Amino acid sequence: MAENGESSGPPRPSRGPAAAQGPASPPAEPKIIKVTVKTPKEKEEFAVPENSSVQQFKEAISKRFKSQTDQLVLIFAGKILKDQDTLIQHGIHDGLTVHLVIKSQNRPQGQSTQPSNVAGTNTTSASTPRSNSTSVSTNSNPFGLGSLGGLAGLSSLGLSSTNFSELQNQMQQQLLSSPEMMIQIMENPFVQSMLSNPDLMRQLIMANPQMQQLIQRNPEISHLLNNPDIMRQTLEIARNPAMMQEMMRNQDLALSNLESIPGGYNALRRMYTDIQEPMLNAAQEQFGGNPFASVGSSSTSGEGTQPSRTENRDPLPNPWAPPPATQSSATTSTTTSSGSGSGSSSSSATGNTVAAANYVASIFSTPGMQSLLQQITENPQLIQNMLSAPYMRSMMQSLSQNPDLAAQMMLNSPVFTANPQLQEQMRPQLPAFLQQMQNPDTLSAMSNPRAMQALMQIQQGLQTLATEAPGLIPSFTPGVGVGVLGTAIGPVGPVTPIGPIGPIVPFTPIGPIGPIGPTGPGSTGSGGPPGPTVSSSTPSETTSPTSESGPNQQFIQQMVQALAGASPPQLPNPEVRFQQQLEQLNAMGFLNREANLQALIATGGDINAAIERLLGSQPS
Amino acid sequence: MKQQRCKMAATMGSGVKVPRNFRLLEELEEGQKGVGDGTVSWGLEDDEDMTLTRWTGMITGPPRTIYENRIYSLKIECGPKYPEAPPLCFVFPVPPFVRYVTKINMNGVNSSNGVVDPRAISVLAKWQNSCSIKVVLRELRRLMMSKENMKLPQPPEGQC
Repeated sequence: MAENGESSGPPRPSRGPAAAQGPASPPAEPKIIKVTVKTPKEKEEFAVPENSSVQQFKEAISKRFKSQTDQLVLIFAGKILKDQDTLIQHGIHDGLTVHLVIKSQNRPQGQSTQPSNVAGTNTTSASTPRSNSTSVSTNSNPFGLGSLGGLAGLSSLGLSSTNFSELQNQMQQQLLSSPEMMIQIMENPFVQSMLSNPDLMRQLIMANPQMQQLIQRNPEISHLLNNPDIMRQTLEIARNPAMMQEMMRNQDLALSNLESIPGGYNALRRMYTDIQEPMLNAAQEQFGGNPFASVGSSSTSGEGTQPSRTENRDPLPNPWAPPPATQSSATTSTTTSSGSGSGSSSSSATGNTVAAANYVASIFSTPGMQSLLQQITENPQLIQNMLSAPYMRSMMQSLSQNPDLAAQMMLNSPVFTANPQLQEQMRPQLPAFLQQMQNPDTLSAMSNPRAMQALMQIQQGLQTLATEAPGLIPSFTPGVGVGVLGTAIGPVGPVTPIGPIGPIVPFTPIGPIGPIGPTGPGSTGSGGPPGPTVSSSTPSETTSPTSESGPNQQFIQQMVQALAGASPPQLPNPEVRFQQQLEQLNAMGFLNREANLQALIATGGDINAAIERLLGSQPS
Repeated sequence: MKQQRCKMAATMGSGVKVPRNFRLLEELEEGQKGVGDGTVSWGLEDDEDMTLTRWTGMITGPPRTIYENRIYSLKIECGPKYPEAPPLCFVFPVPPFVRYVTKINMNGVNSSNGVVDPRAISVLAKWQNSCSIKVVLRELRRLMMSKENMKLPQPPEGQC
């Protein structure tokens, strides 16, 4: 070998090491190569000797990725690298990339740290029902009510991906148990961006006046909100559906346990009234008051934690907490995860805008909502229980005895304050409304599954009609009709709307539609069932947007008559129809009643548009 | 070795379409460089394989599905007509190539022999020569996340 032309004389038995220590020359002996290790989440570069084994490589990796070597699975070019192999064997050279999969027992790879934090929070919250952490999960997503319903509305409005429409076939309870839906929702970039911004979340929460009231009453909540860690954790929770499920489950357990201990029910109720009810209202207000503006925020922000809200309400049936408030809000909350789908707040179309009505309608038109209703109908016992809860009874009684109180509650609702007309409409009907709710017939009707089913059928029929023959209904706002009905049917939570509708149900299936009519003239000559006038249902009032009451009524009555096979639709007397609006225009100074009426008719009861018409027609 | 392959590719002639071996070499390089997010990986089964026919692929089960935390090895055969013709894929290659085999239960995959049904998987059914092994692997992974597949019960890992 010496004569091989090597410069040095004696053979170099230890050629390997010498060469390795040699300068710059790239021998086949180990040199350090740079290999990139990539996980789905991270990428790191490692400098390792070329001839190292996979085992050694894994040890270096385990330090950097903070996992154990037996959790690491290395893949290169589609092959899994076994520990006893070498990098060279697999052809791993300088500059190439190896994929890494970290096997963790119960968490998807790369998410090991977050869930543990959440789990920590979860357990603490589960153990103390009134604990702040529980509040956090409910509070930090007050818009949770918007949740699925909101999203459903969104998709119907074409704002979100089409996947939603498929996914809405399931109730939230099923949602919790089926990751697909949560995944879809969570993967919505809009949702994610919302959720990932704790500041934004906090602002949203704080911006709600009811929330602010709540915070004043319970300062701990503000601490929670201001604690970025908790916010972040909660957001993470909301984003991680698996985590959500866990949490929900634990909370369910905790609550059900709590309920069974003596005095537990009261504690729950307290918890509910103090925290959740205002939250609910807050969420509903915001949700219903401005569906489009808040749709992004409210609906998407809390769908994950919504179950925590609804489930909390389950043992505390208090759909009445400010009945008008709940009526007017347009939130749809999904059912709780515990027990049979007691859906929380109904969606009653707000009294404000067609958009709201549309929104609500779309919510109701979603199969999700319908399945919610279906569950409700299938479980009359639940409704029965809710209605007969002594708590609720006493509340209703006090409300009926004290119409002022009810009016007060109603007025406090921001939605109503924004719309004095609605208030006016509501007020006189409140006592009757309340009485109806107390009417045992109502209760029985509501617990009558067939009745509920009939209501649902009507709603569906209306919806179908809307899609099939929109021409049939002038100025048809699908939302309204359906929304109203939805109101009628929807609320397992805020049972409000169902109440007045209830007694009608025994009359005819068309009954529920009727109540919408009587903003002005109850029966307006419709050959429809007498029921409607009887109900004098307030919820219908609240549901039908004041400014849109004209066309809505018209449509509804047409529907009623068509369904009843009665005489051709006759328009209610526009003057009576627009009474409210006329009075308003009068107050504003438009004294020409005829002109006002014309304008109102032309604009279908929209005051603002009518005013513009009037102004436009007057010479400047 | 690479040079040998390149020579081989060159001798195949280059018409308008990229010749098969060029394509496969490109894919090999891509697989080695680890493009993408690391959820799929592919490479030649045998580095000495001059025909570039037998490939192995790997798919990590997507999170939040029933496949999560699992790694599936696939065997892919790119026939002589590749890339005009789609490759054959087997979701669990036959031992003794791999130490263990994880079977899969998924629509479009024959559960006994692991053959990926080319008519059931859209990428394979509507194969275009712009598709590649990477595309197939990614598509299979995406299908794991689909509603119909993501909850199918899976056999225990490591069944041989």
